[in-house]
Amino acid sequence: MNARDAILARLTGTATRAAIDGEAATLLIAPERPPVDPAALEDSFLARLAVPSVAATVDAVAGFADLPAAVARYCADQGLARSLCTPPDPRLEAGDWSGFDRHATAAPDEPVALAIARCGVAETGSLVFETAPEAPMLPNFLALHHIVVVPQVVAYLEDAVLAGTHPRAHYWVTGVSGTTDIEGTYVRGAHGPRFLHVIRLG
Amino acid sequence: MSAPATAPTADTFDTRVAAALADRNLKLAVERTAGTAEAKRTLAVDAFPDFEAARDRAAAIKDHVVANLGHYLERFEANATAAGAKVHWARTAQEACDIVIGLCKAANAKSVARSKSMLGEEIGLPHALAEAGIVRIETDLAEHIIQLSGERPSHIIWPAMHKTREQVSALFKTSHRNPHVEESIAAMAESARRHLREGMLAADVGISGANFLVADTGAVCTVTNEGNAELSLVPPRMHIVTAGIEKIVPSTGHAVHMLRMLSRSATGAPLSQYTTFYTGPKRPGDRDGPEEMHIVLVDNGRTAMREDGLVEMLRCIRCGACMNHCVVFRQIGGHAYGGTYPGPMGAVLTPAFDGLKQSRDLPNACTLNGKCQEVCPVRIPLPTLLRGWREKSWREGLEPASLRSGLGAWAWFARRPRLYRAATAAALRSMRLMGRSGWLSKLPLAGGWTRYRDMPKPPAESFMAQYKKGRRA
Repeated sequence: MNARDAILARLTGTATRAAIDGEAATLLIAPERPPVDPAALEDSFLARLAVPSVAATVDAVAGFADLPAAVARYCADQGLARSLCTPPDPRLEAGDWSGFDRHATAAPDEPVALAIARCGVAETGSLVFETAPEAPMLPNFLALHHIVVVPQVVAYLEDAVLAGTHPRAHYWVTGVSGTTDIEGTYVRGAHGPRFLHVIRLG
Repeated sequence: MSAPATAPTADTFDTRVAAALADRNLKLAVERTAGTAEAKRTLAVDAFPDFEAARDRAAAIKDHVVANLGHYLERFEANATAAGAKVHWARTAQEACDIVIGLCKAANAKSVARSKSMLGEEIGLPHALAEAGIVRIETDLAEHIIQLSGERPSHIIWPAMHKTREQVSALFKTSHRNPHVEESIAAMAESARRHLREGMLAADVGISGANFLVADTGAVCTVTNEGNAELSLVPPRMHIVTAGIEKIVPSTGHAVHMLRMLSRSATGAPLSQYTTFYTGPKRPGDRDGPEEMHIVLVDNGRTAMREDGLVEMLRCIRCGACMNHCVVFRQIGGHAYGGTYPGPMGAVLTPAFDGLKQSRDLPNACTLNGKCQEVCPVRIPLPTLLRGWREKSWREGLEPASLRSGLGAWAWFARRPRLYRAATAAALRSMRLMGRSGWLSKLPLAGGWTRYRDMPKPPAESFMAQYKKGRRA
C-alpha cells in the first residue's frame, strides 16, 4: 500500500459529507472576537494603526489623482529620494507622477515600495493584499519603507476573505517586520519593512 | 552546520537538568522571555471579550477536524491539486525527508531558504539536507542564530531564547561577511538582515511548514513576525511545504478563529505581523511566486496518537503557552528535555515520537500543577496525558527497580493499617531524634532529596493519631 492509502486507511469515518459540513458551519456561528463598532470603523482602524506593534504613520487623500502629492509629502518628511517601486496597477495612472523615478521591479535594497491594499481591517489594523498580475508580492517584503493605499475598511478579518476568490497568495500585513529573537528585545525591520505608511483613500 | 546534539556531553535527562540548573545565564534568559510572554498573554486574554468560550470553540474545531481527518485530508488534497500544487504523503520522518530531498535534487537545488518549522525539526530535515550536500539558509533570526551555534531550538516560538546578546554578537562577528560594529541588538539584527537577504534571494528552493492547511481552498497558511517566510518562499522557483496531517482546518473562517487564539496565546498580540495563505504556484501573468509548489503531508506517529489515547494532543497549535507558564520549563529551559518539542507539550509528544523507554523521565518531571492546561488555547488536558504516560511506564516495567521495590514495600504496609500506623509512629520518633533544630538536613535513603533541601522536623504524632485523639476529646 502506498503512503497515502496507508494513512487514509487509518482515518476512515462514517460521517457523511453533509453532516461534516453542517457541523463545521455550526462551529462558526457567532464567533468570539474583539468588538468593533460598525458606526466607527474608520476610527477603530486608525486606532489599531497607532498601537506600538503596528505603529504606522497615516495620511489621507480624496482619490488616486492625489496620490503622487501624498507620496511626495512622505518622501520629504522621511528625507527620501522620489524613487519607488510601484505595481503595474492601472489605477495609479490617474495621478501625475512626473518628478518620480518609478520602477516595477524591486531592488534587493529597495528603499520604498508602494502597494494598493484590497482593504484595511478595523479589528486588527491589518492591511489585506491579494496577488495578481498587477499586484506582485515581493516588493512589499523587500522595501525598507512600505507605503500602502487603503481604499476601504472592513470590520473583521472574516470580512477580508472574499468568498469564492482564491488568489495565489492572500496576505495580511499588520505592522512592520519585527523580531524579539535576541533577549526578547523588540527590533523593527528584521527582514522586511521598518516603516509602514498608510494612505487612506476616499 | 546541522549538529544533532544540543547540550554539551549531556546524554541523560538528569545530567542535562543538572547542567541547565547550574547555568545562570540560562535562567535569566528563560525568565526574561517566558516571563514577558506570560505577562503579554495575560493582558491580551483579559482584553478579549470571552476567551474561555473562544477556547471551547477552538478545541471543538480541532476535535471536529481530527474526528473527520480522512475526509478533510482528501478534500485538502483535491483543492490544493486543483490550484496547481502537488500533494505528497509520508508515513514516517524518513519518508518525508526522502520526498523533500528528492524534490530538491530534481530541481538541481544548491541552496534552500528555510522558514522556521517545528515539523521540519521533528523529521530531521536540517540533517537530511546536510547529508544531501544542500546548503540550508535558516531565515528566522533565532533559527539563524542556532544554526550558527550548531544547536537545536530551545523553545518552539523563541528557538534561541537561551542565548545572550554577547553570545549572539560573537557568533555574528565570526560568520557574517559585513557584521555589526555597534554592540546593540538593533545593530545585530541589521547585520543578520544584510547577511540573510542575499541567501534568500539566491535560494533555489524555499521550504516552510504550515500553521494551517485550509481544506476548502487548498491553501497553506504561514504566520511570522519577521516576514522571513514570504522572503524565503516567493523568490525561489520551488516552494516545498512539510506539514503534520493535524494542521487542517475546514475553511478560512475556522483558520481566522484559530489565528486569534494562536497569536494571543503565543506572544499576546491580536495578530502576528504577517499572515499569508498560499494557494498553488505562480499563476499566468504573475510577476513573482514559485513555478512549483509541493505539499508533503506527514503522519510520523499522528494516526497512532489518534488511536492510542493521545487524540487531544492533535489539537495542539504550537503556541508555546504551556511552556511559558510551566514552573519546570522556567527552571531548566528547553534543551534539558532532549526532544524536538520542550515543555509540557514536549513531555507528552517526545515519548510518542522517540519511545517511552528513552523519555520516561519527561512525564515524571512535572508537578501536575495544571498551569499548562489552564492556558492552553485548545484545552489539551496535558496533566492527564502526562499521568497516562506515567501509568504506561509503570505497566510496562520501565520504572527503575529501586522505585518499584520501594513502592511495593509501601503498598504492602499500606494494605495493613495497624502495621502501617505502628511503622509511621516509629519512623516519626526516629526522625525527631535525627533533627536537633526544626529541620532535617540528612535522611537515610533520601540523600538525593536532602542534597538540595531540608525536611521539616515532623510533629510528635501522625495525622491519624492526632485525628483520633481529637475525635475522642
